[in-house]
Amino acid sequence: MTIEHWLRVWNYLPILLQGLSVNLALLGGLITVGFIIGVVVALLEVYAPPPLRLVAFGYAWIFRSIPEILLLLLMWFGPAQFGIKISPFIAAVLALGLRSSAYQAEIFRGALQAIPVGQALAARALGLSRIGAIRYVLLPQALRLSLAGWGNEFAVVLKDTTLAYAIGVVEVMRQARYIGSREFPLTLPAYITVALLFLILTYAGLFIIGKAERRLRIPGLEARR
Amino acid sequence: MALRRVAVVVLVLGVVGLGGMGAEKFVVGTDAAWPPFEWVSAKGEILGFDVDVMRMIAILEGYEVEIRDIAFDSIIPAVIAGKLDIGASGFTITAERAQVVDFSSPYWSSDQTVLVRAGSGLNVVTALMPGRKVGAQRGTTGAFWVEDNLVAKGVAVELVLYETYPEAIMDLLAGRLDAVIQDEAPSQQAVRQYPGQLVIAGVIKTYEEFGFLVAKGDPKGILPRIERGMKKLKETGAWDNLVAAYFGNPLEAVESAWEACIDLLRVAKDPVAYAACLVQKVRELSK
Amino acid sequence: MLLRVEDLYKRYGKEDVLKGVSFSLDKGETKVIIGPSGTGKSTLLRCINRLTEPDRGRIWLEDTEITSPKVNINRIRSQIGFVFQDFNLFTHLTALDNVRLGLIRVKGMSKKEATERAMAELARVGLADKARAYPAELSGGQQQRVSIARALAMDPKLILFDEPTSALDPELIGEVLAVMEGLARSGMTMLVVTHEMGFARTVADEIIFMERGVIVEQGPPEQLFRSPKHPRTAEFLRRITDLYGGEQ
Repeated sequence: MTIEHWLRVWNYLPILLQGLSVNLALLGGLITVGFIIGVVVALLEVYAPPPLRLVAFGYAWIFRSIPEILLLLLMWFGPAQFGIKISPFIAAVLALGLRSSAYQAEIFRGALQAIPVGQALAARALGLSRIGAIRYVLLPQALRLSLAGWGNEFAVVLKDTTLAYAIGVVEVMRQARYIGSREFPLTLPAYITVALLFLILTYAGLFIIGKAERRLRIPGLEARR
Repeated sequence: MALRRVAVVVLVLGVVGLGGMGAEKFVVGTDAAWPPFEWVSAKGEILGFDVDVMRMIAILEGYEVEIRDIAFDSIIPAVIAGKLDIGASGFTITAERAQVVDFSSPYWSSDQTVLVRAGSGLNVVTALMPGRKVGAQRGTTGAFWVEDNLVAKGVAVELVLYETYPEAIMDLLAGRLDAVIQDEAPSQQAVRQYPGQLVIAGVIKTYEEFGFLVAKGDPKGILPRIERGMKKLKETGAWDNLVAAYFGNPLEAVESAWEACIDLLRVAKDPVAYAACLVQKVRELSK
Repeated sequence: MLLRVEDLYKRYGKEDVLKGVSFSLDKGETKVIIGPSGTGKSTLLRCINRLTEPDRGRIWLEDTEITSPKVNINRIRSQIGFVFQDFNLFTHLTALDNVRLGLIRVKGMSKKEATERAMAELARVGLADKARAYPAELSGGQQQRVSIARALAMDPKLILFDEPTSALDPELIGEVLAVMEGLARSGMTMLVVTHEMGFARTVADEIIFMERGVIVEQGPPEQLFRSPKHPRTAEFLRRITDLYGGEQ
């Protein structure tokens, strides 16, 4: 690797950044899908009657057990068997999002279970319904307690977005490979550049989450690490 | 801004996926990391011999193509599942593959080459002796050849598989591999890009032939149109021009020429003029 | 009669915690339940707003039978204040929001109306200046006063106190008892489980002595403290006076 190689990779930076924007779009989609489903699954796991609870645990178990690359391929090929057409991007968001929902459910479930029983009792004693107690007392506390674990999940799924190339989503890793296949000597510098981009992104993401954590900090309700 | 563009692309993909209306359109899958057959230019355009042939035939036969880049070993499963209509990625016609997909008639002949470090002193025989580490791209005929003709017959070479070809080359240069097995054209490309560092130790005559592939039984009737298209390209001389432009020239020159001429294909829809333009520009730029 | 409890039974596993408890409470009355730990006093309170389901027996709040399966229990609970031993303030809400939550989400008040009401209740317990503080920023005594304000804001017909000073440091007990005494004097109906004999003697209209799941004796404080009818009552009072040093 010479200085010249690095200068040549520099020329490709716009392409790499364009690829990275696809990763960010994937991240936004999958973390939203994962958050919404994750919260629902966690609530079912903790508060639902036994049959539904079992379904929720089964769901989380399935999506934590299947390798991500397999989930991606299943989500891309699977719906086609039933005549449903989905684009590779949507398939990737769903596959990675469902996987993330299983992990996020774990985080939220832990937080819900960490809330002292007295909080629910006090809410019910006021006349709040079960749902009201969850909505206004338990869930807001659980989400704050989840922030640290959630930051960790963010860092994991950010990296997972690079797997989406397997089903034809042209993201940053794929762009790096294009560069390598065009100019073989740039393969390693391109990979190192991508690695640096991810270092920066992860740092920026955790910085923002940390800031949010401080902003949302409530005395006596610190997120546990 | 880039994000917004992605959002638009996603939206368009979604709409196309849901609607699926408009002109007749086939989705072509290719692993765009294998120049000169298919790769992505510095400006992010997918080009290459296979890809251009697909575009030219589409014009001659009156349909549209969408070129989609996808990992090589996902292409055949995607064609089988109906996610892709055509596979055009330098596929060698093999009996194994022919059991699950249908091939066009051959459009290219290739042999495998053995690539080694310059100065290693290895030849075809010594490079493939027991104990040697041999690299190849996963799912390619180079990899299959090593498995079938060496490993299966008790020649204990260590076969290392890679997601893409350049990664194998990197490991060869780093000294972690003794040789890389790959088709001729890409190997020549690699030698050009690492002047003085790589040599082709020799050619293994495999008499492989490349074909375009579609789903088993060709339910959409694509193969006859591909055959007719190839015939027209060869009769008009466009085929030979395309070969002359893509093979044996620096990629930068091909990319510049492609950019200069592509509107003849995209706008004027004239494959013959396009191929003539391409070969002429490449020759000018290569000088 | 505001509250009537009739023949209440509750069993946890093999242990009978309540074995046929009956008593009643008139409007404006304050009754204090005393007795050794683990005799079912807290369980009794929780059965009254059905945070714990009784096994048998009936409870009425005015004309409504709380124990009826058809009753809207959330509505009943909103009419019965409950003050916990551990305060149980909502940790993610400020003092003001703790008091406002029920007003807005249960009673459907507007935010403005709820804020005015909540501030008035906080002022009543002497904590208007702590409205913006989170529970963890308040002393135990202050937290318990906020929780009393939270109960008061709902305009309850009755407030149940479950050992409201037991979790407090001794020097903080006084401020909470003072608030409770003020409430009793203002005519609030209260049922209080406590070990604070001084409070029981001066504030209660009637004392209920409970032991092992039954009411052993009940009567006005003077009578019960001076001349208990039952030997068990006398024994308990003697022991607790040794423990807490008699009148405070």
